[in-house]
Amino acid sequence: MPHSRKVLVEILQVVLQVVLGLTSLLLTFLILLHKGRGGGLSDMFGGGMGSNLGASGVAERNLNRITIILGLVWFLTIVALGLITKFQAGV
Amino acid sequence: MFSAIARIFRTPDLRRKIGFTLGVIVLYRLGSFVPAPFVDFENVQTCLQQNQGASGLYELVNLFSGGALLQLSIFALGIMPYITASIITQLLRVVIPHFETLHKEGQSGQAKLTQYTRYLTIFLGVLQSTTLITVARSGQLFGASGTAECTQLLTDDSWYSLLLIVITMTAGTGLIMWLGELITERGVGNGMSLLIFTSIAATFPAALWGIQEARGFNTFLMVIAVGIVIMAAVVFVEQSQRRVPVQYAKRMVGRRTYGGHNTYIPIKVNMAGVVPVIFASSLLFLPSLLVQFNQPAAGEESAAWVTWVSNNLVSGDSPLYMLVFFLLIIGFTYFYVAITFNPEEVADNMKRYGGFIPGIRAGRPTAEYLDYVLTRVTLPGSLYLGIIALIPLVALATVSANQNFPFGGASILIIVGVGLETVKQIDSQLQQRHYEGLLR
Repeated sequence: MPHSRKVLVEILQVVLQVVLGLTSLLLTFLILLHKGRGGGLSDMFGGGMGSNLGASGVAERNLNRITIILGLVWFLTIVALGLITKFQAGV
Repeated sequence: MFSAIARIFRTPDLRRKIGFTLGVIVLYRLGSFVPAPFVDFENVQTCLQQNQGASGLYELVNLFSGGALLQLSIFALGIMPYITASIITQLLRVVIPHFETLHKEGQSGQAKLTQYTRYLTIFLGVLQSTTLITVARSGQLFGASGTAECTQLLTDDSWYSLLLIVITMTAGTGLIMWLGELITERGVGNGMSLLIFTSIAATFPAALWGIQEARGFNTFLMVIAVGIVIMAAVVFVEQSQRRVPVQYAKRMVGRRTYGGHNTYIPIKVNMAGVVPVIFASSLLFLPSLLVQFNQPAAGEESAAWVTWVSNNLVSGDSPLYMLVFFLLIIGFTYFYVAITFNPEEVADNMKRYGGFIPGIRAGRPTAEYLDYVLTRVTLPGSLYLGIIALIPLVALATVSANQNFPFGGASILIIVGVGLETVKQIDSQLQQRHYEGLLR
């Protein structure tokens, strides 16, 4: 019985790793699709005058929603992987 | 003052914005405690315990990520790739004509430049996470003196798991960038700088308490008092500016008159901000990198120049290091001011709209005058930057604080700069509703 559980955990781990890899790539891609805000360095450490107006359109809003969901999945996968590693080390 | 704070929370719009900003900051801090996959959390923690305050190669970078770097968390790289990418795109303006034309194009060109910066950020994220993982794998992350735990920071070092860590950390970098942009868009202040602010402020309590534990309460209180004085001084200098008066000529267009008002061009004493300090410290990483690569094999005597370099240019308490640091900062201040403020451009713009400085002819004489004023105002600015940046090094020698001494160097400049900027933004939002603001 413990043996089969170990196999199950290993399968779960591999699946999670694949999910993590895919979500990471997708997340990076989606974030690059966003329109950049903020005007670089002079904006960052004082100096320039901030002028960031402009409403976000429907596309941007949907993109935001997808990114948030994907980010959550990404985060949960990492936490799950970490927990599995911890319990494996504990046993 | 206090009633103004109460009014902030009574304004629904502003309340929502501040709440959003705080929420994102909490997310950011949370993420910097989650270890990346395949990182041995317990080994990393014991290692961190052993190496409290040890000065490594990654001092500044670790400071900017709020200690997340050495914990090998998913946000390990923090905002650093974005900073580096912005610096690179800004400097490339001098080299690549295409970037300069984009910059002059105004809004749309700026958007394109931002887009380039973002691509470059992801690229740098891949590069830096690969470096970090390689260093962590070889056990050099905590210096060569690591114990057995420090050499086994990863639970699995097959190629695909290393690849997975790199991809994850890159995604983390992208996510931070996005979080920063979200703050800029919907919160208060500039997102990126607020995130840096958070990371630096997060290391304050630990650093201060470290001083208390090492030296007792008297030194602790003295350090806090000195810190407040320094902070007041920094606020004073950051706010000071020379106002060059500009008079706009009256123009009749049809039946309307335009112009005819007085304004001024503000020339700040410290126009360059923190950037020179960052430049100088990253340039001074090079000698210690050089020494690391030229470590002699066991039992061999190291070359004479290596010994000299590691004695004089690596640790912060040698006089030569301080001198070089100081001079570099002064040089970079002038360099950076020259990049960000172009007198000829300003003079041209003024001429186009019929403005002039009283007593000075429009066109070239104006540009020369502006250049003259700028050069003279920047001199105290650069000296001030150099002195502020030296404070942590002096503190290292006298109070035996570690190099991340909170009240000095890049950290205090960023804290004060970002704080002022954010307060000003909240202020202008309050004044939009005819309320008296926070600042007098």
